[in-house]
Amino acid sequence: MITTEADPVFAMNLLLVGINHRTAPVEVRERMNIQEARLASAVSALAHRDGILEGMILSTCNRVELVTNARDEVEAAPILRSFLAEYHHCDLAPFEPHFYWLRQQDVVRHLFRVASSLDAMVLGEPQVLGQVKEAYATARRVGALDGALDEIVSRSLAVARRVRRETAIGSSAVSVSYAAVELAKKIFGSLAGKTVFVIGAGKMSELAARHLLRSGASAIFVSNRTYERAQELAQAFHGTAIRFEDLFATIDRADIVISSTGAPHFVVTKDQAEKLLAARKNRPIFFVDIAVPRDIDPAVNELDNAFVYDIDDLEQVVEANRLERQREAARAEKIIEEEMTRLQRRLATRELTPTIVAIEARLNRIREAELERFGGRLAALTPDQRRAVEALTRAIQNKILHGPLTELKDGADRPEHGNIVRLIRRIFGVGE
Amino acid sequence: MNADAVLLWLAVGLYGLGLALTVPSVARRRPLLSPSALGALGLGLGFHAASLAAQAAGIHRLPITDVRSALSSFTFLATLAFFLVYLRYRIASLGLFMLPLVLLLTLLSALRAGSSFESPAFRNRWLLVHIASILLGYVGFFLTFVAALMYLIKSRELKSKNPRAFYFRLPALEVCDHLYYRSLVLGLPSLSLGILTGFVWASRTWKGPWELDPKILASIVTWLIYLVLFATRLSGNWGGRRSAALAIFGFVAVLVTFLGISMWSGLHGYFPNLGGGN
Repeated sequence: MITTEADPVFAMNLLLVGINHRTAPVEVRERMNIQEARLASAVSALAHRDGILEGMILSTCNRVELVTNARDEVEAAPILRSFLAEYHHCDLAPFEPHFYWLRQQDVVRHLFRVASSLDAMVLGEPQVLGQVKEAYATARRVGALDGALDEIVSRSLAVARRVRRETAIGSSAVSVSYAAVELAKKIFGSLAGKTVFVIGAGKMSELAARHLLRSGASAIFVSNRTYERAQELAQAFHGTAIRFEDLFATIDRADIVISSTGAPHFVVTKDQAEKLLAARKNRPIFFVDIAVPRDIDPAVNELDNAFVYDIDDLEQVVEANRLERQREAARAEKIIEEEMTRLQRRLATRELTPTIVAIEARLNRIREAELERFGGRLAALTPDQRRAVEALTRAIQNKILHGPLTELKDGADRPEHGNIVRLIRRIFGVGE
Repeated sequence: MNADAVLLWLAVGLYGLGLALTVPSVARRRPLLSPSALGALGLGLGFHAASLAAQAAGIHRLPITDVRSALSSFTFLATLAFFLVYLRYRIASLGLFMLPLVLLLTLLSALRAGSSFESPAFRNRWLLVHIASILLGYVGFFLTFVAALMYLIKSRELKSKNPRAFYFRLPALEVCDHLYYRSLVLGLPSLSLGILTGFVWASRTWKGPWELDPKILASIVTWLIYLVLFATRLSGNWGGRRSAALAIFGFVAVLVTFLGISMWSGLHGYFPNLGGGN
């Protein structure tokens, strides 16, 4: 019979210790880092410490976190402390101020928030979900997860997917080169079949071109003052190099122009752009001007169907997207609170199973004993009548149990539920 | 109230509910409409169809020969078009652009209760083809208008370089343009056929200078506007914003032709002197 001192509603003993990019500088984080290659043995060692039931370790460049589910009566903090000190062969004292310690509900919330990328350096960046998945898989593989913590972490992955599905937290670009791709999609919809023209082969334009191609753009032209450099880059992208003098003979085929030359004057003027648009029969064209001084006359933006974004404009889009992500994060927090209530209820219901089984068993014993006692007087019954008596007593038992069991199952999220559970157990004479 | 009127009011209520339910989807930047919004609109469309069928059964022909039923038929086709376009492009914000007018005109139709007048002219096939194809043309131009409006807003936001509310919620410019072109391809031939059959019917039925009827003149103007839009779209001579602006003006002309002129047109406009031939 499970009887515990702890609150029977949430009888887990969760503890999390961690450092992250907010609480610790990189020197501390790298000191506490647990290498990927050693992660499996580390998490296995952690889970095998006396008093620890389950454990998981998340170690990325932005955070190191140990989370455990300890045996109810065990205070896990010293165990985690000594584990870290022994693992890193160091005195933990200098690092203590960087640690944060979380317990019970706060551990659940934290895991949900981390997986959903609400605790990330770049809010909403999807990488961390993969890292949590990885840590979860490793811990499971070595048998360090098999109970409530297992369920909580696996739930956190589902919560993260829900956040991604129901909010736009990760959907807008927060880097300049991705902002260019995002804008291209706002203009063209799908980038399939679109042609990219790179003028001036620099690092930044190369990056933007790479993102565009990965997002579906099909053809690429590269033009540069030094033709060899253009050829080099064109080759890398399986594109076509264009001599700088022949720029305007080809550029009307481009849907997206990325320009980053070192030219001191405009490479594309308004007049040229007008001719370009006429040649394109007014199909839209998108200029990404990442050169300083600028390559594309900003007046080109006034032309119908021409869209010019310089480096500052792209930064502005990135900034707006950051704000948008923050707004979406507020909605994600609500989802997390909702999911916490749901999980808590489920865990609580599951924890009640032993109680329910015990009460049912006890009543059944009483019923059978009474049937036994009356055995002699019931001997004259036909098999049919005997079955009827059996069914009748069983029905009475179930009717009596219906009320208390409903109360047990449905009241799980009420604060006084712990007392109700104890009371019901007392009334039916099980445990305690 | 007649059965068709009851059904129409049900449709009005469900369209209103559907519109109300699209608002949170769009506000939350969901790419798709919620099943409840689509359900309400679909159910509304069903009641609307039943209302039209009940009306048709009552008068034994297409219910398009008076303002009330023509409006009702128009909004039915417009809602149907909304579903088709939504299924093709999957744009939640389309609901915000299409449904308010659909709701308003369906409501007008429902409010304009009462029995329709009769005329032997309504038995004429030419006249029915005339009205039906003009209604279909109007539905096409309604889509053109919506596409143009979305294009203008999106284009303005992209040019301003300051992403605001619609930046995240409207379809890409080329998607708007695609819808714009497709709807012109539906609208212009339909209106042309409608005007042509109207001429044929009028020249056989009416005497006197019927060509100067205000509704006919307005229709010709509308037709010319869309002809210009179609030609410039094919040639690529016009930029997107100019076309979009004219398309919006064109739809205002449609509304004036469809509803406004009916109020004071002599021969036209669903008044009972049709086919009078005086």
